[in-house]
Amino acid sequence: MSDSLDALERRIAELRAEVRRAVAARENALARSLRGDLRRAEQAWDAAVTAEAPPRPREAEVSLMPIREQVHQALALLGVPTSAKLVVAVNAAFFARELRGSQLTSLRRDEERSFRSDPYARPYYLCAALTDRLSPARGLLADSTWPTELRVLGPLSPRVHFLTSTMRIAEHLTRLAEPPAGAVRLLSRMAQNIPGAAAGFAPADPVIALRAAGAELEVHRAADAAQRSEVAARAARQLSDVERLFGVTAMNTLRGAC
Amino acid sequence: MNRLQERAFLNRLEELRGPVPARPHDARAIAALAANPGCARRSVMDAAGIDKDRTARHVGFPAPFGQSQFAITRGNGFEALVKENGCAELLRVLRELLGLPIPQVGYRDVESVGSHLRHSHTRALIDHAAREEEGTAVFYDHPLFSLEIAGHTSYLEPDVVAFQVGGRFHIVEIKSFALVDGQAEPEKVAAAARQAAVYVLALRTLLADLGHDPERVSHDVVLICPENFANRPAGALVDVRKQLAVLTRQLTRMTRVEHLLSGLPEGLTFDLAPGEDGTPTRSAEELAEALRRVPARYAPDCLATCDMCMFCRDEARGCGSTELLGRQVRDQLGGVSRVSEALGLAEGTLEPAEGQEEIAELLRLANRLREESLR
Repeated sequence: MSDSLDALERRIAELRAEVRRAVAARENALARSLRGDLRRAEQAWDAAVTAEAPPRPREAEVSLMPIREQVHQALALLGVPTSAKLVVAVNAAFFARELRGSQLTSLRRDEERSFRSDPYARPYYLCAALTDRLSPARGLLADSTWPTELRVLGPLSPRVHFLTSTMRIAEHLTRLAEPPAGAVRLLSRMAQNIPGAAAGFAPADPVIALRAAGAELEVHRAADAAQRSEVAARAARQLSDVERLFGVTAMNTLRGAC
Repeated sequence: MNRLQERAFLNRLEELRGPVPARPHDARAIAALAANPGCARRSVMDAAGIDKDRTARHVGFPAPFGQSQFAITRGNGFEALVKENGCAELLRVLRELLGLPIPQVGYRDVESVGSHLRHSHTRALIDHAAREEEGTAVFYDHPLFSLEIAGHTSYLEPDVVAFQVGGRFHIVEIKSFALVDGQAEPEKVAAAARQAAVYVLALRTLLADLGHDPERVSHDVVLICPENFANRPAGALVDVRKQLAVLTRQLTRMTRVEHLLSGLPEGLTFDLAPGEDGTPTRSAEELAEALRRVPARYAPDCLATCDMCMFCRDEARGCGSTELLGRQVRDQLGGVSRVSEALGLAEGTLEPAEGQEEIAELLRLANRLREESLR
């Protein structure tokens, strides 16, 4: 593009010189047609220069979507219980929306209140991930429509969740024609902590990241699934509906303590 | 010490503290104990659990410490970064540093049980981990240890404990000062090492208590710092054997403060009991007078570690003590304990006492050299 701009500028300079010469030689007809050429060249230059101006960066806009919808969308993308921080990062990277961590703090409590007063009235609830003591895990959000196995945690689960979310982000990036820069940065940062997924500080390649994360995930998958199904079975046996979604408080955990 | 003596000893300490609750020691405070082992004033005050900060404030010499809010926020932010996503960043560093194998990624958040159960839960988890032969490596986030210090239990919160193959536990210390080109400020590293040594000691005590080999806690602690102005965590192993030795000695000394106590006048107290308006009822002069009854050993490095530093410095200045000049100079001055005395010896206005001939000669030589160079 800038090559054609340079060519146009040269052409404009030449045309101006020719117009000057034609006027000096009193060749009015020639001067008029040259002025016409000059004007067209200038218009072409104007068009070229504005076309080349970089598009305005997408600004984080205040979304009209309710916060719980935004969180739900991010969770649907990631597919595993996720910390508020990662929800905010994914929401900003893929949906260019501004969400603050502090907006999420009361979310789980509100959801629990809503469920208690009118169970299953909503298609989904943003609920808690459950620790092996069946208490709500600190700071992790989950989707009530996920099976219990997916919402409980074993010792390996944080790593499995990290690898899974990296893979989901990488997959999502491969589907996008123009991956948003923020999302590539997010993936690169995560990939740096997975062996073989990223080289130094260079932007991560989603395909390589996907493969590397998948390879590590294979190592942990079976053990994690076994640990989780054990916790899930215990949850199914011991907990009421609302406890299965939002966990039991610390004192109650004593009866289910391992 | 038999039970009766122990009771008497604890009573004496309580008398010194007055009717206020003992101030629990945090790791920073315990680590600072090792900084000036020879100071009787400090030993007594620490053993009795006296709030040194409030004491210093009350006598009008508040210590110029306290972290800035900015530094605290930065520290917390960095710690959160290292620990997010199940310690993903820490895992990378440990894989590079210790060769942690791929399958070992377990993570347990001890805090998930609620604060009142954290200590017993930490105990149970560590016991479980130590029993398992080749268990999965586990990061224990927010563990809570305890350490007995002169009859009081202090609770300590290390950043993370990592369990590693070869059956060894490693204490992880997360600090937000920068590692530039593989180098960090030596004083900050030393302070971090002292603090980590306290955790190593606490974990060793716990293991011994549970009937395991305390040596399974590595004396190499993992120090995590941001690298080269970026916020990317990097790690280094720091050997804290020396700090551990100093600390252990210091803690045993603290339980032996009784001989220090026996030298103190009857009825001495550093009582800070607050009146109705919250300020101590005792007058500042009276308290200062009581403090002066216990000898201090001031050195300029106290300024970095002890809450009482400004008071002791003022006192040392007031009597022209050579301690003001730092440990090195003081050691070179041998038995000369006053600045005026040293000057007298140097200028020849004072006759050297027995045993002072050598130092007097050196001082005169130094004085002559000074005169010549000023001429």
